[in-house]
Amino acid sequence: MVFLLRLAALGAVAGGAFVIGLVYWPIRDDPGTIELAGDPNRGAYLARASGCIACHTDMAGGGAPLAGGAPLETPFGTFVPPNLTTDPEHGIGVWTIGDFAVAVRQGVSPEGEPYFPSFTYPFYGNFTDQDIADLWAAFQTVPAVAEPAPDHDVAFPFNQRWGLKLWRAAFLEAPDTDPVAGRSDAWNRGRQLVEGASHCAACHTPRNPVGARLSGAAFAGNEDLPGGDAAPSILPGDLVERGWTVTNLAFALRTGVMPDGDAFGGSMGEVVQGGTAFLSPEDLTAMATYVLDQD
Amino acid sequence: MNLTARITGAAGISLIAVAALAHGGATGIVMERMDGMSAMAKVMKALAPMMQGTAAYDAAAVRAGAAQIADHAGEAMTTKFPEGTSGGASEAKPEIWQDWEDFAGLARQLEVFAEGLEAAADNGIGGMPAQGNMMGNSTMMGGQGMMGSGGMMGGQTPMMTAEHIAQMPADMAFAMVSQSCTACHSRFRAEDK
Repeated sequence: MVFLLRLAALGAVAGGAFVIGLVYWPIRDDPGTIELAGDPNRGAYLARASGCIACHTDMAGGGAPLAGGAPLETPFGTFVPPNLTTDPEHGIGVWTIGDFAVAVRQGVSPEGEPYFPSFTYPFYGNFTDQDIADLWAAFQTVPAVAEPAPDHDVAFPFNQRWGLKLWRAAFLEAPDTDPVAGRSDAWNRGRQLVEGASHCAACHTPRNPVGARLSGAAFAGNEDLPGGDAAPSILPGDLVERGWTVTNLAFALRTGVMPDGDAFGGSMGEVVQGGTAFLSPEDLTAMATYVLDQD
Repeated sequence: MNLTARITGAAGISLIAVAALAHGGATGIVMERMDGMSAMAKVMKALAPMMQGTAAYDAAAVRAGAAQIADHAGEAMTTKFPEGTSGGASEAKPEIWQDWEDFAGLARQLEVFAEGLEAAADNGIGGMPAQGNMMGNSTMMGGQGMMGSGGMMGGQTPMMTAEHIAQMPADMAFAMVSQSCTACHSRFRAEDK
């Protein structure tokens, strides 16, 4: 009995030490100094492609651009996309470009805390320093909104940020955005957008019980999106079967109109309105080329 | 009641049931507005390939289709959404009545855009610049950074008139009509799984 108690105590101490170790485990990589001049127009374009504006703006509620998005209801709790305006208190006005680079590419806050993966930073891991400089320049043009977005409402144990470090160790991978030799420029550009910035898999790939994407089922669809939404499979065979072509898919990303004449609603409608409708015809064709794997 | 009458009666009831099931059990005003939506989808399905350049452009068909959409939009649409007609077979979200002005504004916008498309039908298709330019303000692409067009962010920009749209290439006008559909569906239509 005494032995068992000692064992339990030892276990508790080890567990406690493990958690303390996690709490202090540094996950922030120094991004180095980024002194490149940013192009705000290119940055605004990348922000559209990346869904920053679609997610961090409460369009239905008439909210100001990037002042905080509509809440995402998930099994883990409610996530609220925060205020990303230049307000020093409630936005990111006091951040440095280094803070911004670490937040976007690594998913780590200026305080060294991991963000919840409801923020789609895993897709932005390959953004170049130039991409970051451009985005940063664009974010500097956003008028400050001196109102906080509400806090996340996440229940124990998911509200323990140290747990996210385990999640990162287990599931965080660099996105597959590197060009593939032998494929067309359009296909490779589409790959860069689809697998990276535009993060199609965030909704169209099913997730495991702790919210990590199932890499073996990439683009196979997800029945359990936040708020009870569902995203269909966008595997090439399934898309072709439902009447999609490179031309009409690129068109749908711009207009919302599907091959059957219906128009997207739900979160895909928001993706189009806040993001893909702003992309160039070449980029939309590239995305469709990659998703349909037709080049 | 003799047997024949019973059979006839049963058949009649079945027919009604079949008709109702065509729209997931909708009846009355809900059925009517679903039919209106389907009619507009049919037009969009027929015209979209012309706008994509994958079907021969037919100005008369564009004109007629646009007129048909305009007929189903605006007040013709909003009067089919009396309060208390969400739920059941309907995909209408309760937000329609909470944000009635926004809903009615989008229905009106669809009417104006469709009238614009009707008038632009003879312009043919001629390439579509990206949205920032398309909405008549180039904030996104033209040097003012991140604000995007007010139209996307909650309708602060004054609405374009049908006369203005009449000057545009038909595919651009068509895209505006499409985006009205998408904007309204995103906010006010429940998506089935």
